[in-house]
Parts: sequence; C-alpha cells; structure tokens
Amino acid sequence: MKTETLKITGMTCAACAKASERAVKKLDGVSEANVNYATEKMVVEYDESKIDAEAIKTAVEKAGYQAVVETENKEAAIPISGMTCAACAKAVERAVGKLQGVKEVAVNFATEKALVKYDPKQVRLSEIKQTISKAGYKALEIDANSKVDEDKLRKEKEIRLLWTKFIISAIFTVPLLYIAMGPMIWWLNWPLPAWLEPMQFPFLYSLVQISLVTPVVIAGYKFYTVGFKAIWRRSPNMDSLIAMGTAAAVVYSLYSTYKIYAGNFKHVDDLYFETAGVIITLILLGKALEAVSKGKTSEAIKKLMGLSPKTAIVIQDDKEIEIPIEEVEVGDIILVKPGEKLPVDGEVIEGHTFIDESMLTGESIPVEKSVGDKVIGASINKHGFIKFKATKVGSDTALAQIIKLVEDAQGSKAPIAQMADIVSGYFVPIVFAIALLSSLTWLISGESAVFSLTIFISVLVIACPCALGLATPTAIMVGTGNGAENGILIKGGEALETAHKINTIVFDKTGTITEGKPEVTDIITTQITDKSRLLQLAASAEKGSEHPLGEAIVRGAEKEKLELIKLDRFAAIPGHGIEVNLDGKIVLLGNRKLMADKKINLEELESQSDKLASEGKTPMYIAIDNKLAGIIAVADVVKQSSAKAIERLHKMGIQVAMITGDNKRTAEAIAKQVGIDRVLAEVLPQDKANEVKKLQAEGRKVAMVGDGINDAPALAQADIGIAIGSGTDVAMESADIVLMRSDLMDVPTAIKLSKSTIRNIKQNLFWAFGYNVAGIPLAAGLLHLFGGPLLNPVFAAAAMSLSSVSVLTNALRLKRFKAY
Amino acid sequence: MKKRAVLIVLSLILILVFTACKATDVIGKMAVTSFEAVLNIIPDKITFDQTYNGWTLESEKGDRFLWGKDFSAQDKPDLMLDFDAKPFINAGLDISKLPIDIYAYDSAANRILVKAEIGSISFEYKDDAKALDSFKKIVDNHRDIVGYHQKFDHYGVALGNGNMFEWAKDLTTNDKDIVFVLNPQPFIDAGADPTNIEGWIFAKVEIMDEKGKTIEVDKLLKLFDL
Repeated sequence: MKTETLKITGMTCAACAKASERAVKKLDGVSEANVNYATEKMVVEYDESKIDAEAIKTAVEKAGYQAVVETENKEAAIPISGMTCAACAKAVERAVGKLQGVKEVAVNFATEKALVKYDPKQVRLSEIKQTISKAGYKALEIDANSKVDEDKLRKEKEIRLLWTKFIISAIFTVPLLYIAMGPMIWWLNWPLPAWLEPMQFPFLYSLVQISLVTPVVIAGYKFYTVGFKAIWRRSPNMDSLIAMGTAAAVVYSLYSTYKIYAGNFKHVDDLYFETAGVIITLILLGKALEAVSKGKTSEAIKKLMGLSPKTAIVIQDDKEIEIPIEEVEVGDIILVKPGEKLPVDGEVIEGHTFIDESMLTGESIPVEKSVGDKVIGASINKHGFIKFKATKVGSDTALAQIIKLVEDAQGSKAPIAQMADIVSGYFVPIVFAIALLSSLTWLISGESAVFSLTIFISVLVIACPCALGLATPTAIMVGTGNGAENGILIKGGEALETAHKINTIVFDKTGTITEGKPEVTDIITTQITDKSRLLQLAASAEKGSEHPLGEAIVRGAEKEKLELIKLDRFAAIPGHGIEVNLDGKIVLLGNRKLMADKKINLEELESQSDKLASEGKTPMYIAIDNKLAGIIAVADVVKQSSAKAIERLHKMGIQVAMITGDNKRTAEAIAKQVGIDRVLAEVLPQDKANEVKKLQAEGRKVAMVGDGINDAPALAQADIGIAIGSGTDVAMESADIVLMRSDLMDVPTAIKLSKSTIRNIKQNLFWAFGYNVAGIPLAAGLLHLFGGPLLNPVFAAAAMSLSSVSVLTNALRLKRFKAY
Repeated sequence: MKKRAVLIVLSLILILVFTACKATDVIGKMAVTSFEAVLNIIPDKITFDQTYNGWTLESEKGDRFLWGKDFSAQDKPDLMLDFDAKPFINAGLDISKLPIDIYAYDSAANRILVKAEIGSISFEYKDDAKALDSFKKIVDNHRDIVGYHQKFDHYGVALGNGNMFEWAKDLTTNDKDIVFVLNPQPFIDAGADPTNIEGWIFAKVEIMDEKGKTIEVDKLLKLFDL
C-alpha cells in the first residue's frame, strides 16, 4: 500500500471535493481517498500493484478537476559565470538535465541564470552546482530570494485573479445595476440619459444591458465551464447552481430583448441582466474574500516555516563559509554566533551558551547548552559562540517534523467534517429539485413565468453550499495552527474533536506532575550495613538505569563521591525493581512487591517506610543476600504549574486521576498536594493501559497525560493521549496531542482549544446551514404565500456570499484564542 | 485572458455603437409603422391643410390632429388638436379664460385648437412630401416627443402641457384606435366641469413623471374607433 498526496485544483465547493473523492474511491486498488477542500489536497492510499498515481490523476481529471502529485519540488535560479555564448547555456542545460531528480532546467544566457526545478529528495542543490562546475562553468551563490514557493505563488496568483475578475465585474455591474434599477427606484432621483429611457428606447436599453453584462459573464466564465460540466457528469456543484441561476436570468432576458425587438415593449420590464451581473459580482467578491481568508487560516504554518534561517555558517577547512540552509548536510560543523538562529538540529561540540527555544517549545526561559547537549534548529543562540555538529537536516529536523505534523493535522478531517461532507454531497441535487419544484408549483398556481423564474434563480443562488464545505476545515486549520503557536501540537481533526469530550484526565506522576528529577532524601539502614555502603551498592546497581528513581540514587552517590562497583549481573524486574550481582553479593533494590516476592521480611523498617511514604517520598528497599539492608527514600518536586492546572481542569468539570508505580502512601501524599481526585498507585507500566481501560469501562472519556515513552500503551489506550514535555520523535509518534513544554497548564489549554474549535465548527455549521435552511424557504416564496415579499435573487446572492464570508470570519476569530 | 480582455473591450465598443445606431430605436421605427397603418385605414381623411402648412387626420365628426410639414414656420403650429368647443362650453367653459398661448378658439366654426410649438427645424424632403414623410421627420428630429404608452398599448405624440395625440400600436386588436388626450386643468380653471363634457371621458391615467415614478393624473380623453 502506498499513500500519496495529490494537489487538487479547480474545486469550488465541498461538492467538488466529494465528487473527486468519489471518482478516486471507485478505482480498483484504491483503499482510501480523502479530499480536504480547504487545503485542496487529496490523501489517497492505494495498492501499487493494481494502480498507479497516473491512473488516479486521470480519474480526478475525468471528474473535472486537475490533480498534481505533491512532490516537494523546488525551484532555484542559479547564477552562472563563464558562459560565453548560447551554446554554453545549452551545454549547462544538457548536463544538469541529465541529473536524476531534475524536472526542468532552463538556462538563460542573457541573465546568466539557470532556472532549475528539482526534487530535493533525489538531488541536492550542491550536486547540481557541482555538475555545472564539471561542465566547465562556475555556479555562483544563490540569492535566497530567488527560490520560489510554488504553492504560495499559485495562491497569490489565484487571489489576484479573483480580485481582477471581481473588479472587472463590479465596473460593469455598477452601471448595469444603475441602469436597471434606476427607473424602478424613482425616489432616488437617479438621472438616466434620455436615450436610455426604458419606455422610450427599450431595445437600446436592453442592448446596453447586454453589453454591460457580457464582460461580467466573461469574468465569471468559470462558473459556467465548471458548473455545466459538473451537471453533465451528474455531480452538480456550487458552480452548477450559480451557472443555472444566472444563465436562466440571462437567457430569459435575451428572450425579452427579442420580444422588445419584435415590438412587444412590455417585456422591457422582464429584463434580468442585472440579476445575473450582481450575482456573479457578489459571488466573485465572496470567492476573493474566501481566498484571502483561506490564506490566513494557514498563517500558523507560514509562521513556523519562517522560523528557520535562510543560511548557515559551516566550518570547512577551518574556514567559515555561509551556505544556504538547503545545502547543510549531516555531519557539517556549524558555527552560531550570539543572537543568530540555529539552522538545523545537532549536538554542541564546542562552546557554552543559553538558547531560546521558545518558538518551538513555548518555554520562555533560555536553556543552558554545553558540549554534548542537543540543540534544535530555528532556536536562538542568546549569548556565547557555539559550534555544533548537524545531526538532522531538511525534513528530518524537529521543526520540519512539527510543520509536517501540523500540516497533516490541518489536512485531516474531524468526524464532524465528514458529516458535513456527506450532507453537502447530497445538497446540490436536492437544491436543484427544490428550485425546480417550487418554481413549477408557483407557475401551476397561476403565477407568471417571470415570478417562477425569480423563484428558480433565488433558490439556486441562495443555497450554494460553499459555506458548508468551509465550516469545519477552516476552523480546524486555525485551531491546530493556533495550538502549534502555543506549543500544543494536535495530530488531527479527530483528536481535536475528541479532546473536547474528555471528562477524565489521568496524569502520570513522575515527570508529569512532578519535575521527574527526584533526589535522595533519606537513607535508613539495618545493622548489616551503613549508609554510605548502602548508597554505594544501590548506586552501583542502578548505574546505567534510565529510571528517574535510579538516576536519583546514582546522582546521590556521585554527590557523596562514592566509587561505583562493577556489576557482574543485572536483571530488571519491570514494575518491581532490579536484581544485581556485584562484589559477590546479590543485591535487590525495589518496592515492597519485589521484597514480598523474594520473601524478605520488611518488618524492621516498615513503620519508617510508611512514614517516608506519607511525606510524599518514595522509599526503595534494598536487600543484600536476601536480608533487608535498608531504605533509600527519594522524593520528587511537584511542578509549580501542577496544582494550578488541576484546579483549572476541575473548573472545567474534568475529574483528575494520577497513575504511578509508586506506593499508595507516596502517591496519595503527592495527590493531596496538587488536588488529584483519584489515585491509581502501585500500577505496573504494563497495567497502566488496563487502568485507563477500566476508567473507560465506567463510561468515561479518558485522556492520558504522560511523557510519551514508558506510558506509550496507556497513551494509546486512552481516548486522547497527551505527551508532555518534549518534541521528541517518540513523543510525537505515541500521542494524539504533543505538548512542547513541560508546563501542565498546557493540558487545560489544549482542552480549551479543542472546546473552542468545536464550538467554532458548530457555529460555522449553524451559519452555513442556517443560511440555507432559512434562505431556501424564503427564496421559494414562503413569505409571499402569506402576503409577504418575494426574495430578490440579488439579495439571495448577497446572502449566499455573506454566508461564506461569515463562516470564514468566524473561523478566523479562533486566532484570538488565549492560552491559560 | 487576452481573448477575454478583447471581448470586454468589444462590449464597451458595442455600447457606443448601439447608442449611435438608429436601428436600435424600435419604438421610433414602430411608431412610424403603426402611424402608417392608421393613415392607410382612412386614406380619404388624410389631407393637407394649406392654412397651417400641415397634414391633418380627421375623424368622422371633424376632429383633427395636425402635424406640420415643416417646423421652421414661425406663425404656424407644429402640432395641433382641433375639436368641437360646444361640449366644453356646455360644461361651463369660459373660452376667454383659456391661456391664449396654447389654446385658440375658432369662433366661426366653434372649435378649440390646441397648438404646440415643438421646434424650428426645417424639414427637407427629397421628393414631394407625403403625410407619412412629415411624420417620419418628426420622429427623426424630435424623437423625444414620440413615446409608447404601455397601459393602452399606444404610441403617442406629446404636444406638451399634458396634451397628447395617441394611436394604437395594433389597430386590429385595440378598440381605442386613436385618442385625444387633454390636460383638464386649464379647462377646469376656465370654468368647465370635466365630468360633464359630452364625448370626453374624465379619467385617471397612469403616467410616469419626470423622475420615472408611475403616477396617476387626471386627463380628458376622447376615443375614436376608425
């Protein structure tokens, strides 16, 4: 199975998205196809042995849209020196064109530049440059500004084109409306030239209107080409509604013009060119505003993309060379001066500094970095000079992964969006039927053809479902983007939707509620050893342990400058402790359960152990050669934000539980400090998932908050897994939501963001449906039935355009979301 | 995009062309055609009045509509309605109180003449002028006084001051073949009871005012079935 992302163009509404999705899903070998109208992307999963990307593209094209397989093709304009004639340019073209991964190359001898379109996954810019050099010419440094973001350019072009179309359309529609409505709105005293008096020169009057509406129809020609094609394919879309509505107005007006020409001047009252003109103009305005707003919804991604610097200073042969960031390779030694951004991820090999990682983690305090520490690309070097070795470049960097994660999330569909998609898929044909039925009913009831036509046009125009298609994806885009800006990475629409339903949150204790850096606080021994020896043995046993409690004991021994003893044997007993052989002795180190399993009598130190636990400390028993030797108590500091975050969750009506492998007394002491409602203590790592399952069995929607590594099964079991504290690969993989900071306040913030986004989606759907539900009966003449007015198609068009704009404006309101 | 730009420019040019093109004036054209139909239905009632240097269309009872052969003559009306004064006098009209610049009284024949000066253009004819040729000259040179009355499906020539001569667009379907339309106010001001003028109908008629608003005004109408 292969998953490919295709860029779909030519879609104008959610019905288009549904149509292209349907066309692809029908293909043999395609297991899943998902089109996001807002991002204009199709994610398709298919069996390579049965079908290829070309066949999928063809199916999309047959459905009336254009599909381009998303490769991250890049363009670069490489300045070249040494070319003396056009033949040199040809030679460079030939040489570069032969490289695998080069899609297009055009060398302009006059500008001395090679415009190269290439797939960076297959060929590196440095290779292209080398090839130019090998061909006998010199590839110069690229101006960073010459790189072209195809998608950005395409969108900007689309917005420009829509504005141009709207302006042209408005230029002709305003006088058209003036001419058409002027005589009707006599109280406004709009002067008309004598030669345009409708009752004096009706034919000229209509010819002038035709001349004015023609450019408007030309500006909106896409509605007709796309709309009628869609009708032909029996999958009508929003354009079909516009095309049918306005075409009906124009055709009827042309008929009226003919009648006027034939001497039936009464038909001068039956000209509806201005209706078509105004509808097209308003919808073009709506489309232009929609395009601008859609661009704004993805600003978060643009901001993230803009975080990385364009160049890096690489040390090569003891020289500092500034190269474009794209040319940095793994292993390169990079120099970063104070105040500069780190270009890629890496490991410090020289120097000492403080680095501001707030743009990625949200953590405002700069982090101290010295030799051996890992650094993240796009973070800012605050003070000292550092040199670091690049470990991850290009799409492997943490920033690139975050961008991908956010992009994927923005492209994903929440269940609520799928429902809206299904509705909009059926919506257009239903609207056609309503329009036809209502106009025919009025006609049969004795109303004039003009009246029925007005009904037909109004219903078609007011019911365009484009707002419906935008309601959910735009809110998700803004919501997830806003989350990313606050250091909250939500991995998909589903996670975003589920998070707002959470009523129970289970926190892992160590590293989540507490700092995760415990210290040795008490050492109690029996008569068989002393404190120093006990600590030495315990630290030796825990040497190499990745468990925070073990690390605390090792740190404690190091502080006492104790020499660690080499282990002869090491065995970890998950959830219990460890058993080691050293110095000819068998040392057991772990919890009460371990000692019970090994039948070691704890009676001598039991009361002291209980006392330590009640103080929130974790007592660890040590036995030497199956005899109790003592207790080392380790305590962890509760994070400053824990109590506040839990209080906030309580205010949100969420029950908070804590899960830990610690003994019950310790766990309860910690729980009391921070206000936990429910304590799940002495739980083995493998049982954490079961505990979550038990809570779910009680009918609760459970979120699990952990560090994303040892809590992975529980994170997976929970309805929402929230990994806290890092942007590491593992954390990102295992959780539905990744919190970049260690601040627990981000948990209520994430829930609040989810609630806000879902509320926003519901508001959007209300507005989108509301316009249609309220608009269709009005347009169908419901008020007229009771003696009220009839909805003018022009107002129907205004309302329809307003629905898209109001939905987008509402989605953009989410940008003002404030974190706790 | 270029093609579309060309089409847009073409549309603008078309507006200019249409504006200048007389062929688009269907009301003017059809007014002539329908007036010709009226002339053709009563050819023996169309005569040339030497006194007024104009063509007259006369009803069975001698009421006349006159249109001048040449509007340049200073002492002759360009358009004129000529009708019996007796019903008006019987309804209380004091002839002497009618404004003399518009209304004239032929005491010998006991007739009221409603005269209109439209312009001073000299009409030039290639051949001998006929009644229809003079009417065409009026349409060509004074198109603004020729109009279409949607309510009655009539064409009309405005004499000014609310007075008109109207004729049916289609004589075969319209029972009001020609109509004299008078502004009743000067007659009311001169003592006539508009409701008691024999042969004339005092009625409300829908017209458009100068702002384009449809309004109802009082008119005196005399209908003729040819």
